[in-house]
Amino acid sequence: MTALKLLSRTKLYWGLIAIFLIGVLGSPVSSKGNNIFLSYGNLLDVLRQVSTTGLIATGMTAVIITGGIDLSVGSLMAICSVVCAMLLTVPGVTPGVVLGVPTVALVALCLGIVVTRFIFLNLEKSRAGADAAARDVRLDTVRGLVTPAIVGVVLCCLSLWYLLPQIEPKFGVLGVLLVAPCVGLLFGAINGFIIVGGRLQPFIVTLAMMVTALGIARLTAGQNNAVLPVYTGSNATADFELLRSLVFGVIPMPGLFFLGAIVIYGAVLRFTPFGRYVYAIGGNEEAARLSGIAAGRVKIATYAISGLLAGIAAVLYVAQYRQGKPDAGAGLELDAIAAVVIGGTSLMGGRGSLTGTFCGVLIFGLLSNILQLHNINSNLQLVLKGMIIIGTVLVQERNAGDLLAYLRLPGAAHKETAAAKRPSQETPSLNLGGNKK
Amino acid sequence: MKRRDMLKLAAFGAALLTTTALLSTGHAFAQDKKWKIGFSQVTTIEPWRAQFNKDIIAEAAKHPEVELIITDGEDKTEKQVADVENLIRQEVDALLVSPKESAGLTGVVQQAIDAKIPVFVLDRNVDTKDYTQFVGGDNKLIGRAAGEYAVELLGGKGKAAGNVVEIWGGMGTQPAHDRHDGFHEFTDKEPGIKYLLDQQSGDWKQDQAYNLMANALKTNEKIDLVYGHNDPMAYGAYLAAKDVGREKDIKFIGIDGLPNEGVQMVNKGELTATFTYVTPGAEGLRQAIKFLNGEKVEKTITLPTQKITKENAAQVLKDNGL
Repeated sequence: MTALKLLSRTKLYWGLIAIFLIGVLGSPVSSKGNNIFLSYGNLLDVLRQVSTTGLIATGMTAVIITGGIDLSVGSLMAICSVVCAMLLTVPGVTPGVVLGVPTVALVALCLGIVVTRFIFLNLEKSRAGADAAARDVRLDTVRGLVTPAIVGVVLCCLSLWYLLPQIEPKFGVLGVLLVAPCVGLLFGAINGFIIVGGRLQPFIVTLAMMVTALGIARLTAGQNNAVLPVYTGSNATADFELLRSLVFGVIPMPGLFFLGAIVIYGAVLRFTPFGRYVYAIGGNEEAARLSGIAAGRVKIATYAISGLLAGIAAVLYVAQYRQGKPDAGAGLELDAIAAVVIGGTSLMGGRGSLTGTFCGVLIFGLLSNILQLHNINSNLQLVLKGMIIIGTVLVQERNAGDLLAYLRLPGAAHKETAAAKRPSQETPSLNLGGNKK
Repeated sequence: MKRRDMLKLAAFGAALLTTTALLSTGHAFAQDKKWKIGFSQVTTIEPWRAQFNKDIIAEAAKHPEVELIITDGEDKTEKQVADVENLIRQEVDALLVSPKESAGLTGVVQQAIDAKIPVFVLDRNVDTKDYTQFVGGDNKLIGRAAGEYAVELLGGKGKAAGNVVEIWGGMGTQPAHDRHDGFHEFTDKEPGIKYLLDQQSGDWKQDQAYNLMANALKTNEKIDLVYGHNDPMAYGAYLAAKDVGREKDIKFIGIDGLPNEGVQMVNKGELTATFTYVTPGAEGLRQAIKFLNGEKVEKTITLPTQKITKENAAQVLKDNGL
């Protein structure tokens, strides 16, 4: 019920239902008389097919809400998929190990330090009362440096103790599920540090990272950018069956990861201070900073999480397609951005939601599925998809009437003031335009 | 939810509905077909793939009882797997797949086999043995033919000498490795042959090969032979040599020999030779129909190659109506 309530806040809820109905009504019927679109297998296919893009779009949403953009996710996914496939198939010290294991150690160390400090800071603030929020709280040496350092080192050692014995045989699925997201997280964090520290445009930084990461992916894959099959019959595959399987025989595992990411990150954005900071920064970064929000840190966190989700998507990619390769995820960033924008998140920042993104991803997935079921010429499919993106966003932004008015087409508000100014509030309710506010 | 939004969405939905309705009118004509055969293609942009589709469509036109559905994977594993899943849902009678790569498509091919659909794998294999049939050229065989001819061009067996530029196709694709290995079976035996580039890839594309060759020309005084893993790359290298006025002292060998591409280039004297890599489109469809009609088919069919030089290029063009 709550899910329905949340969904209905976005108008896309209706768009989703509309697309679904079109799918059902317009579905081809198989030779055995079944409705193909509604068949259980087909709907599972759709959920599985959208989950990679969906995970990437989930991370992208928060980044876009802060007013940034992350073009590097596709390449990050490529790196993680190569590392992942390598760890699963090649025993011994490989480039994948060289890149992956130290990264996990580093991430464990930093996370240990940062999280511990954060907890102490909050305890201190809550003790000091309301006025503490407005000023910087100083921690003493023990709680500010020593304890976090100890916790970090312990975590680092724990992760190494877990991973090092796996180098000589091959990594198991859990090991990979630890490594790949950490690699993504590291590169995402680097994005964030350069954007915040260097005060550069996110567009250009992540564009550079997109190129760099592709190079690293190819270097890691080494020998001719080889596709690394996860050989059937190896331990890896037995484990990986799990990531391909149906949970409770109903939901495909990749879909579960996608839904999980949407629910968890959605809750974080909606109900936690961090989420409010994300929106605040997108609305007006300067104002957010002046009101005491550590804008830089929040932005770094969004990019890091975006990379982390790309890493998880990579593990699912390897499980799904039994391979990791440097061109995995090519062009995925654009699909993800399209889904986010269809979901009503503004590229200007400050406005958007993960429920919207969820609908956007599903609308896009269902649309591709329907077009393919009708065997529409694939080049025409691209044209239709492009038109759908524009159409949906026009409806989202309630600018369809403005466009009609600008082009002096019927359906616009005021004939005599067409293209001169936006239609006013007093227009009849049949008008498709209208003001947003 | 305001009434206005409702109206808008209704309009939007109606527009969509008409689109789908318009687009699905094609279904009405497909009722009297006996067999529904799905073919999942990797991409339609490359000339060889375009020829592949042309061949299979031409073959399908000869069989009025067959409805052929062609999908385009847009050169992405994810898209191609989704396409095949989609064809399985449409309950096709037979499935033809030309995989982008072996590992990525194995799972979904297995899924089709489990769904009792006969699968015909074309051009590139998958990592399972349960498919009905594999139809494809043998890239190693073609590489050998090219290597043999290269040795001949450079002075013959035991005496061959010269500097060779090899332009790889996509790194990590099996065809590129096979074309490389086959070629080297002959050329590696010749101590006089030197390789100028260390595994440089043009990714099957003419423009990338042009740039590779342009650099090679700058750094090497003497180049005797260029071996491109496909015709467009050999041609790109030829153009680079031509732009610095050195195309006359270099031999260019390509592979694929498409009538409207490689054969034309050989005929114009731009490439020295090309070796045909026949598309398995027509043969694959013929075999699938044969199987559906209850006949036995072999597990593997290897398509032969043909050397095309100045002597026979004009004839080949004539045979193909060009």
